[in-house]
Amino acid sequence: MKKIQEKITEDQIEDQMEENIQPEKRKFPILKFDHVSKIYKGDFTALEDIDFEIQEGEFVSLVGHSGAGKSTLLKLIYAEEAATDGDVYFDEEPLSKVKRSKLPYHRRKIGTVFQDFKLLPKKTAFENVAYALEVCGVPTEEIMEDVPQILDIVGLGDKMHKFPLQLSGGEQQKVVLARALIHKPLVIVADEPTGNLDPKNSIDMVELLLKVNRLGTTVILASHNRDIVDLVDRRVILLEKGRIICDEARGKYKTC
Amino acid sequence: MLLVIGRTIKESFINFWRNGWLSIASVSVLTLSLYVVGALLVILLVSNTILKGVESRINVSVYFKPDITEDRIMTVKTELEKFSEVKSVEYVSKDKALEDFKKNNAGEPVIIQSLDEIGGNPLLASLVVKANSPDQYQSIAEYIGKADYENDISRINYAKNKVIIDKLNDIIGQAKKVGTAVALVFAAVSVLIIFNTIRITIYIHKSEIEVMRLVGASNFFIRMPFLFEGIIYGVVSSLLATILLLISIKLVNPYIPSSTVSRSLISFYLSNFWFVLGVQMLFGVALGLVSSWVAMRKYLKI
Repeated sequence: MKKIQEKITEDQIEDQMEENIQPEKRKFPILKFDHVSKIYKGDFTALEDIDFEIQEGEFVSLVGHSGAGKSTLLKLIYAEEAATDGDVYFDEEPLSKVKRSKLPYHRRKIGTVFQDFKLLPKKTAFENVAYALEVCGVPTEEIMEDVPQILDIVGLGDKMHKFPLQLSGGEQQKVVLARALIHKPLVIVADEPTGNLDPKNSIDMVELLLKVNRLGTTVILASHNRDIVDLVDRRVILLEKGRIICDEARGKYKTC
Repeated sequence: MLLVIGRTIKESFINFWRNGWLSIASVSVLTLSLYVVGALLVILLVSNTILKGVESRINVSVYFKPDITEDRIMTVKTELEKFSEVKSVEYVSKDKALEDFKKNNAGEPVIIQSLDEIGGNPLLASLVVKANSPDQYQSIAEYIGKADYENDISRINYAKNKVIIDKLNDIIGQAKKVGTAVALVFAAVSVLIIFNTIRITIYIHKSEIEVMRLVGASNFFIRMPFLFEGIIYGVVSSLLATILLLISIKLVNPYIPSSTVSRSLISFYLSNFWFVLGVQMLFGVALGLVSSWVAMRKYLKI
């Protein structure tokens, strides 16, 4: 009973936040897979007839064993790979129609978090995040203003001048999340973000993702970690051998 | 936009510097090929000047018999001037010819003495005909030989310089061929080496490139540092090649008689300095750009 009440107040807060941050809600899905298949060279079918929609503001957990096609599905979202069949619609735009030269602009609408962080070792936390803005031609003053702010949000305000090697795995992943958020993306794509983290840091990470989601950003989390998915307790899509075998609006890993 | 370009230029200079030995290999080979290009250019310029000098000195001299009057010669002169092939016709009188002869042989008292002994002026009046291009002399000489004033003419003198010109043309042609071949070989080697350097640079920066793509850096931004690196190779190498060329011309200079180019080789080079440097730089930058472009196409996934 108490839990339900907590949930209700949380939902109210969420609603308020959404009103504050995003007065206009989209009527179309932010992401849509339209009967998508992905066949790699050598006739290896990674995804088969994937068909689903994600509305703005959703938090979707993508689960399945290693090799089930989670990473491939995410790669299709940030256009690292192109669909062999069908099409992926991002913000109503079919990705197959986006010119190669325009793909960077598409990628700026998506923040990515990876298991292996992909931080530049010779740059400090601050510089790593700033780099994401630098390469997009953002003026220096704006960088100086935005970067500390975002590092504060992920709780690294006091460690922003440390190099990745001087940070723990959990802290490094927070830097990665800060970098993913710096463009104010529509969607955060997290591929096994807790894969290299201990349980405590994993929970921290998930809570951060939930916080980001509450602030209005759609989150897609791929994970094979049962505890993590159960902790999130939101929509779950289960992949197996490249197919969606279950899609529950509010699910646990095992119920799905 | 300016900001982006500034950042990429900075990035490429850092790449260039940090690559160390790789950069040195690329620059030295490109320097060599640009040196060959520059040397070839100087040789061609010099030989062209020599050729021009020799060409301007050839002419057809038409010597008239001693009893032909000056009026008659002048008529022939106006007639010859009508031809489109003829650039100029100069009249040299007997007295002028004697004067010139004496001047030319001033250092040889025996000849002057024998001239005095003959008494009077043994030299003939002549018309000195110059053509617009060297290969027209033959036809001019042939025409004069058959004209109606043929009987007034003592002799026609033209073939003297033809051999020299042909030989010179031959040498220039050979130099062009050999020089171009050597330059091409060096150019091919430098393209390969720069290509390899850029490929390794791309490999070294693999993780950076991956991150750049993920955070949505434009293709332009990702590619620019590598292209700039190619340009830097071109510019640095052409400057080095120029220094090398200057040194070697200084070394060669004393052995080249200045009379051939009408002045010393070094001053000749300096007066063409910007042209030679410009060609070298253009060539170097083009080679650098092409090789990094090819390397990028092949190894830089965007």
